[in-house]
Amino acid sequence: MKDEIELAKRATPITASAPSATVVSRSEELSPYSRSKQAREAERVLNRIIDDFDDNPQAMQYFYDLFRRVHCRGESIAAEGPRIGTTCIQAPEELIYAMGATPVRLCNGSYHYDQIGAEFMPAKSCSLVKATLGMLTSDNPVPRVGKLDLVVNPTTCDQKKKASAMIEEMGHPVFNLELPNVKESEASRLYWRRSVRQFAEELRGVTGRKLTRKNLKAALARTQRAERAFRAMDGFRRASPSVLLGKDAFLVVNAYFFDDLDRWCEAVETLNGELGERLEKAVRAVQKKAPRIVFTGSPPIFPNLKLPLLIERAGGVVVSDETCSANRMLYDMTAVDEWLVNDMVDSLADKYLKPCTCPIFTKNEDRQRRLLELVRNFSADGVVYQAFAGCQVYEMEQRSVARTLNEQGIPMLYVETDYSPDDEGQLSTRVEAFLESIKTRKRMRT
Amino acid sequence: MTFFSGIDIGSTAIKIVVVDEDGRLADQYVTATRSHFYKNAREAFETLLGKMGLRRDQVGYVIATGYGRKLYKEADDSISEITANGIGAHEVGKAHGGVRTIINIGGQDSKAIQIDSQGAVTHFVMNDKCAAGTGRFLDVAARNLEIGLDELGDYHFQAAGGPLDINSTCTVFAESEIIGLLANGHGKGEIIAGIHHSIARRTVRLAKKVGIEDRVFFDGGPALNKGLVAAIQAELGREIVVPEHPQTTTAFGAAILARSEFLADFAERLGAGRDFHVQAGLSEQGAREACSPQCDAGGCAVRHGA
Repeated sequence: MKDEIELAKRATPITASAPSATVVSRSEELSPYSRSKQAREAERVLNRIIDDFDDNPQAMQYFYDLFRRVHCRGESIAAEGPRIGTTCIQAPEELIYAMGATPVRLCNGSYHYDQIGAEFMPAKSCSLVKATLGMLTSDNPVPRVGKLDLVVNPTTCDQKKKASAMIEEMGHPVFNLELPNVKESEASRLYWRRSVRQFAEELRGVTGRKLTRKNLKAALARTQRAERAFRAMDGFRRASPSVLLGKDAFLVVNAYFFDDLDRWCEAVETLNGELGERLEKAVRAVQKKAPRIVFTGSPPIFPNLKLPLLIERAGGVVVSDETCSANRMLYDMTAVDEWLVNDMVDSLADKYLKPCTCPIFTKNEDRQRRLLELVRNFSADGVVYQAFAGCQVYEMEQRSVARTLNEQGIPMLYVETDYSPDDEGQLSTRVEAFLESIKTRKRMRT
Repeated sequence: MTFFSGIDIGSTAIKIVVVDEDGRLADQYVTATRSHFYKNAREAFETLLGKMGLRRDQVGYVIATGYGRKLYKEADDSISEITANGIGAHEVGKAHGGVRTIINIGGQDSKAIQIDSQGAVTHFVMNDKCAAGTGRFLDVAARNLEIGLDELGDYHFQAAGGPLDINSTCTVFAESEIIGLLANGHGKGEIIAGIHHSIARRTVRLAKKVGIEDRVFFDGGPALNKGLVAAIQAELGREIVVPEHPQTTTAFGAAILARSEFLADFAERLGAGRDFHVQAGLSEQGAREACSPQCDAGGCAVRHGA
């Protein structure tokens, strides 16, 4: 078993390169893939992420290069063992790693794939689901995941639930990980525990391995390292003035979707080292008075970093977020101290259900509490709430979140949008007006 | 005498306002935006200066706003049209006893803005990316009915029956709905009244999202349309304040802001001190605002709070 972990550690997904090394020149010859629409879209956004801002951290180069290779050049992701696609953060990745397989999160942010996926979905539906379907049906899927041994699809919102059959029709084996609609009840807890045990059983069939206390502990050690690295990065973002921009933070966590786990940890640890230095030397990523924003709602996934980029180009800074493509993914650390493997799986299941603040649950006061906590801890001035047009649950929760924040005197900007770039002009007006009103508010207070 | 200007480069029209040192409206100019945002804005600014007999260096500070604000490089600064609208409406609204809620319908968007007693924006909502219920909607309707935009108001009050129901809020679908109604023999008056009510319903829904407080101020080009004003009043169930120049409130706000930015800069540059207003060459009121509050100590001739 130890050997297997060693093997996994040594597994080099994309062409080996140390973090923060290789700088890829743009004039390099383009492969045929690079001329595809998807690649051009990714290239355009990536260049904006890099070039529109001064003084990007050196350690971000690892992530810029990674996205350039995987998203703009279509380099494939090699992985140890069977490859398990996930369509949501509710799929316990510790189980996947424990059985020597590699998870890759399929949630996609490309407008190009969104248009392809539109074929499968009603007119007004979620860009994320459409783009994921579009990517899976495409001849050139990016990230280039190759053959998926299994797609695990937690039964969350209606659109993701119904997408399951379509993914199956596309030729991918699908396991529906049954998630309850209610978070608080004991019945839900038991139901969810059974679902997770069934998932472990399913993985056993796919990988031909048995889940043991030993391999689960080893997997937990690896994911805990990632969680620690994320927490440390998150800690640096509390600093005011900020040392890291939100666009970079989103990119870092988005990379976790497909990057090799250990290599990712190493790169984030390097970044954290640099952030520590920046903090010491008082290197600012933004102006001192830049409005500090907590981002919530539908998840920004590369290349759709439209809204965070608009905020930061208008002089604001995203200091934290409450989204499933970043904070919600790695914030809650797993500490399993049970003795028996079955009990370990149960407590792992609890970790996935209890802290989840996804709006698919009937009641979701935890999300409001979490937002207030983030605003407080990160000294935020306001909240930007993104809802993808067609994502009913986020659209519906907007009212209660707005009310709660309003009661606390925290301004919120609600933006309904999708992956298309055509509302950028209009959105920039709204974002700028929001930031201006925050600045005026601050000026009046002092 | 120093002047200050706000240039609002909208999707449909360019609006330029010049204010004097005391923040009073000196002159204004409105022209179509067309396809050359930048060139037309520059020309419009020159036209207005020519009309006023001003040299460019007599305009101390220029703030650009509206969709084309970033393209207008000659401006000293730019600001979003929502903030500018808030400032402008606050200033204009003083004559009406003060306003707190603004409804603005522009060429391609509509907004509802709530401001505090200082004119600072506290809340706002804007329609999403489609042009339903905006100036463009009226434009398309007028073209379908083969009447001028400025005639819409008159037709509204000539409706034979009650206003017809126009259900489509989408500009494209409403077009076919209008054609259908014409084919069924309905008169232009009823159709136009129907269109106005359809826009009004949508706008009031937007306004309710920010919360309606105190007096409601309605501006933007379509506020010139008396029929639409009547429809919004009916849907809202209360009277609304329409300023004398609804099209230029936002540009006026930008000009007011240009003035205060200039005065703030000036105060910083000259610092406090005696004969401040003489050195600055500002009027009594301009100097009073520019040099407070540090000047008191310096023996400044301006009587603060006078």
